[in-house]
This record gives sequence, C-alpha cells and structure tokens, in this order.
Amino acid sequence: MSEIVSKPYLLDADAAKAYNAAVEGPPRIHPRQNIHTDNAAARKAGFRAPIAGGEQTYAVMANFLLDTFGENFLRGGRLKAALIKPVFFGDTLTMHVRTIEDEASLLQLEVWTLNQLGERVLAGTARVPKQVA
Amino acid sequence: MASASGEHEKRALMCPENVHQGMRLGPIFYVVTSEQIEKFAQATASSNPLFRDKQIAPPTMRLQDYALLIAKHFYGGSGGVHARHWNEFYAPLRAGQTIKSEGQIIKTERKRGKFYFELEYESRDAETGELLMRQAITSVLLVEGKFT
Repeated sequence: MSEIVSKPYLLDADAAKAYNAAVEGPPRIHPRQNIHTDNAAARKAGFRAPIAGGEQTYAVMANFLLDTFGENFLRGGRLKAALIKPVFFGDTLTMHVRTIEDEASLLQLEVWTLNQLGERVLAGTARVPKQVA
Repeated sequence: MASASGEHEKRALMCPENVHQGMRLGPIFYVVTSEQIEKFAQATASSNPLFRDKQIAPPTMRLQDYALLIAKHFYGGSGGVHARHWNEFYAPLRAGQTIKSEGQIIKTERKRGKFYFELEYESRDAETGELLMRQAITSVLLVEGKFT
C-alpha cells in the first residue's frame, strides 16, 4: 500500500474547547491555569505559547486509522505513538499511514502526523488485523 | 492532610515523590453515552458512520480515563506533558455499556532531569468482564510548572 494521507485537521482554540467538552476530565474545585490554557504557564514550562493536549493529536490519528481500515481496527488493532513536537493552537495537522509489512493476518503500519510546516509532531506504528474471528 | 477547601484529603499530592511503580489506580465505573460519542466525533471532525449508526465509541474517546484514575488517588500538582501513548483494541465500546477501568503505574524514571511515569490501564465491560481495550500513557510530570 502506498502512503495514505488524511484530510487536514485544524487544531485551533475552538477545536480544543470542543474536545475538552467531549472528554470527561476529573472534577476540579479550583480550575487552574496550565500549559494548555495560559501563556505564562506555557512559557514557564519552556513553550513559546500554550500547546494543544497531545491526546487530541493522538485521537485524530486513531480516528484516521478507523476511517481507513474500518471496524477491524477496533478488534485486534493497535496504535503506539510518540508525541515528538508540540502542537500549537492554529496548527493544521495531516495524518499519514503506510504499510511497512503486509503479513498473512495483519498489516503492520508506520504512522505519522505533520503540521503545516511539514514537521513531524507524532510518529509511531500501528497494526490492523485483516480479518476478525 | 487538609485540602485547600479545608476538607479532609485522603489523596496524595501529585508529585514525583508520591508516584511509585506498582501503584494500582482505580477502579472507576461509567456508562458510555451516545451524547459523548457525538460530541467527541464532532470535536475530532469525524463523520465515520460507525459512531452514529452502530453507536460505537471513537477509538480514544476514553483515553482520558487516565486522568480520572489519577484524580482518584492524587490531587494538585502542575500537570504533565503527554510523551507517548499506546492502545490495544479488543472490542468496541458502545453506547449504553457500563465500563470498569483500572490501572497501574508500571514505570517511573528520571531522565535528563525530567520525571517520567507510565500508567497502564484497561477497560472492561463491567457486567461481563470482557476486555475491551488496554492502553498506556507516558507522561512527563511538571514540578512547580517546570520540567525540572
């Protein structure tokens, strides 16, 4: 299989807000400023600006694999990735996948995500069973 | 230990000194909802019909269970930065299903002045015990807002 590329995904402040509203976070008595919400907190941690949560970048990759390979991905599939570069609000991400090994029962895949500058922000591997019992 | 609100706090402060390999976190229980499936799909710009037609949850919709597991045992801290993650999928989570999630700190490590921990956790159908998903997060813990 040659490389498959997703549609672009804009991870801006609105997308992050929608994502945060969709996940069940731990209840907070006192909402705190953090590297995802506050310039000063981000700079203290060494980032030039607040960064998007890595799990949102990971989530759109997982969705892309499900879109590409179907429900088999959820029945024996695997995704393993490193978040290797921060994603800043306003970045546009594209997800990429290519087969590195076509085995009898499953596909071994390389996956990566690029930002609009062509930099890898996520890199890893995945596998998808060809058939599910 | 007293919390900021003055209530008795049984949880430990989230800091490197209190995070130990072998610690078991959870369990937590929840019901998968069609509302969350819809909101998550919208937030990740996905129109996969599996979510709507079969009421299957997006693959990482419950990734953030790690935060609930941590919050059950720890409070405070400065948060962390997500470094790595893996998921193994055995069967889809579906709307209406009651889920039991629990985990364990399987590794802690200080590397180049940073404190890493790896939390492995799994989700099962709470009624049948069927294993649905295993996953693990590796996070770099911030201490007083900094990596080191």
